[in-house]
Amino acid sequence: MASGAELKSESLLELMKEHLKTDAGKEITKKIGLVYQINIAPKKIGFNEVIFTVDLKKGEVKKPDSTFSFKDDDFIKVALGKMNPQIAFMRGAMKIKGSLSAATKFTPDIFPKPAKM
Amino acid sequence: MAMRELVTGGAACAVPGQSSSSNPFGALANALIGSSSKQERLKEIPSSTPTASEPQFYPDGHGHLQQLPGSELDQPFMQPRTQSSEFLRNFNSVDGNRLLGNAWDEVQSSQPEPMHMPQHDRIYDMRPQLQTTLDGPPQRVLSSFLHSFVESSRGGMPFRPTPLPVLGLSAGDKQCIRDRTSIMARHFFADKSEDFINGQVNALLSSLDIDSDVNSKGPLPARFRELDDYWNESQAITKPGAHAVQGWVTEFSQHRLDHGDPNAWAHSFERQHGANGWASEFEQEQSQLMSADHMRGVNMASLAAMEQTRMLANTLAQNEEPKFQKSRFLQFVSKMNRGELIIDDNQVKPATSSGDWASEYQQQYNAGPSWADEYARGELSHGPNQWANEFNSEQEQHGSVDDQWVNQFTKLHVDDWAEDFGNQVGEGLLGDSSADSWANAYNEYMNEQAATKQRNDAARGVYVFSDMNPYVGHPNPLKVGQEMFHKGLLSEAVLALEAEVLKNPDNAEGWRLLGIAHAENDDDQQAIAGMMRAQEADPTNLEVLLALGVSHTNELEQAAALKYLYGWLRHHQKYGVLTKPELSDSLYYADVARLFNEAAQMSPDDADVHIVLGVLYNLSREYDKAIDSFRTALKLKPQDYSLWNKLGATQANSVQSADAIFAYQQLLLLFCSFQWASVSFSTDRCTGMYEDSIRYYVRALTMNPKADNGWQYLRISLSCASRNDMLEACDSRNLDVLQKEFPL
Repeated sequence: MASGAELKSESLLELMKEHLKTDAGKEITKKIGLVYQINIAPKKIGFNEVIFTVDLKKGEVKKPDSTFSFKDDDFIKVALGKMNPQIAFMRGAMKIKGSLSAATKFTPDIFPKPAKM
Repeated sequence: MAMRELVTGGAACAVPGQSSSSNPFGALANALIGSSSKQERLKEIPSSTPTASEPQFYPDGHGHLQQLPGSELDQPFMQPRTQSSEFLRNFNSVDGNRLLGNAWDEVQSSQPEPMHMPQHDRIYDMRPQLQTTLDGPPQRVLSSFLHSFVESSRGGMPFRPTPLPVLGLSAGDKQCIRDRTSIMARHFFADKSEDFINGQVNALLSSLDIDSDVNSKGPLPARFRELDDYWNESQAITKPGAHAVQGWVTEFSQHRLDHGDPNAWAHSFERQHGANGWASEFEQEQSQLMSADHMRGVNMASLAAMEQTRMLANTLAQNEEPKFQKSRFLQFVSKMNRGELIIDDNQVKPATSSGDWASEYQQQYNAGPSWADEYARGELSHGPNQWANEFNSEQEQHGSVDDQWVNQFTKLHVDDWAEDFGNQVGEGLLGDSSADSWANAYNEYMNEQAATKQRNDAARGVYVFSDMNPYVGHPNPLKVGQEMFHKGLLSEAVLALEAEVLKNPDNAEGWRLLGIAHAENDDDQQAIAGMMRAQEADPTNLEVLLALGVSHTNELEQAAALKYLYGWLRHHQKYGVLTKPELSDSLYYADVARLFNEAAQMSPDDADVHIVLGVLYNLSREYDKAIDSFRTALKLKPQDYSLWNKLGATQANSVQSADAIFAYQQLLLLFCSFQWASVSFSTDRCTGMYEDSIRYYVRALTMNPKADNGWQYLRISLSCASRNDMLEACDSRNLDVLQKEFPL
């Protein structure tokens, strides 16, 4: 299953899958109520992107409200709260498509913080 | 205003080496400011030296000129007087041009000869009366005296003080002269030492009986002083009276005729640097500007300089990026036409196209000579004035105040931050208020910059040492470090251990402990950096290899984690035979996991194998298997507190929070007995007595408030002790409240 080239973001988003099933996760879905698509590129935005859809609405998914494009490293920084998403955007580390009001609800809080061994 | 801070501060977010080319604004202004070498720039940013700390402002000189003693003089005397003030202004415009000149020089890759010299001379040549006679009306004396100072710079000759008749200069005049000479001198003698420059300036100043004391400077100017001055200046140009200025204008028009192709500038630039060259260049410049900015602190003069820069950027953004106009602009405009866009702003109105700032801009710049044209024709000698003109005429057209400029600018910037952003603004979702919040967020982030840089270094595997380390020079820092570490004083331990490895860079144990201390402080990147040094010193240390594997797993870096865990197996006395040398080149998770399973079968009673296996399963997110492995290991090694932590973390990640709490409780118990033994703390005291354990946590956290894990455990203990009332204090990390509630 796991190869050496796996994205860090994928690990995190896998964690998130579990996280959303918990009470804390359900609270997030209630609060956000949107569907995000996250495109993760290993090195350069737009190349070899892996597409994740994060459904924080629990409804039928037709089209994401907002789509974000990240580099793998940058996504980890944002998701773990090491980089402010707005800064990431201004620096071009994050590209946004779709509804901007939906995008403003995109915070690091929706991602689980992995416990460290 | 927030947006403007955001712009001026834009550089700091461009961590060197990470500059993003998506910040065209920054790029613009910086390209304008010039791209001379860093050192030269620092020298040129006038305020980086104390004598020239407020170059852009115009102390009360102008006012004085009209009102002070000279006013009783006749018209003929007024004439030279204004000329001298023109001269002083020119000092400034020369300064601005010099900066621009650099940009232009680079564009053309022409000779680095300073642009200001010929220009300056031209100005003087147009005044035939300017001989080196040092008598006559005071203003004339002053002019020629300054002129001779300029002359002296040609050959780099030391300038000698000359006795002068009493000139009756006002304090404001003196200030003007002092400030501007300092700046000028730095341009003239860019290749000379600072002492030489100061000597020259002081010689001049002492001749004029001007005190070179920085403190005697007047109050800081108001924010828009700069703009006012530009306004005055542009007004002055249109007045028929000022001969010198008129000559200047004529000369300018001549230059304009000489240069036909308006796009030459843009083209040659693009040829040289490509489309993105600009952006990166600007980024660099901006960071330089910022560093200079820091040097002099927050200072109105810098704001004025920034305003100038931004004005240029403003203009440039319109003219110099045809792509902007074609894609984003037109989209924006067409959106407006379709009525999709309603922004209540001076610049943007849905009804008329004249209210649309984009088209307004285009109209204006299409009608009048574009900035680029002037730039190309006038060879940028008169850039700033022209911009000021343009700016002022715009102001006139709108009949509005500075606020409007700010608004307009804010719009522009919001719009230019990224390509897609224009569309977003177009949807009307981002008003000024949200622009403010972005700026706030930006400010917050600025404070984190230093830390971020550290992280970046650490991310590259470079260990970042603390700045101030009291343990440097200690006779045996390793011992102190070990003690601190066992007391749980991780921050102190880190310092002591850093001192140790600075003393003995090959001390594997020192590096290893340092790595572990960082790992327990939740700083895995520093831990990795330290552990890598430990591994260099001792490549086969199993603990180091395991720690590296764990830290990389925590950082979600699978390939690296796999490498070190495999290394653990390879260097293990017993299990090394299982590994095959050819495997280490291309590691696959499945292979490594299989090998470890074999090892575990070989000796099921070795806790270490199970630990590594547990880490491996964490890597592949097979948490159930990982938990089994850790539990097996714990049966064999129940006193290993780090094992409980691993189990707890795994359970937390696998969303078995109840179990995780149990594991963390066990960890807590062990912590009590093991980690803090030296604070005379016994196991039985904390068993089942959460209040007590809370006290010790609080105590421990006052010693090491950065221990995120500690806060985690404290929170758990608080819940267990049903002290939910204190959870808030715990979450906000309010140690004062906690200490009061739980004194030890």
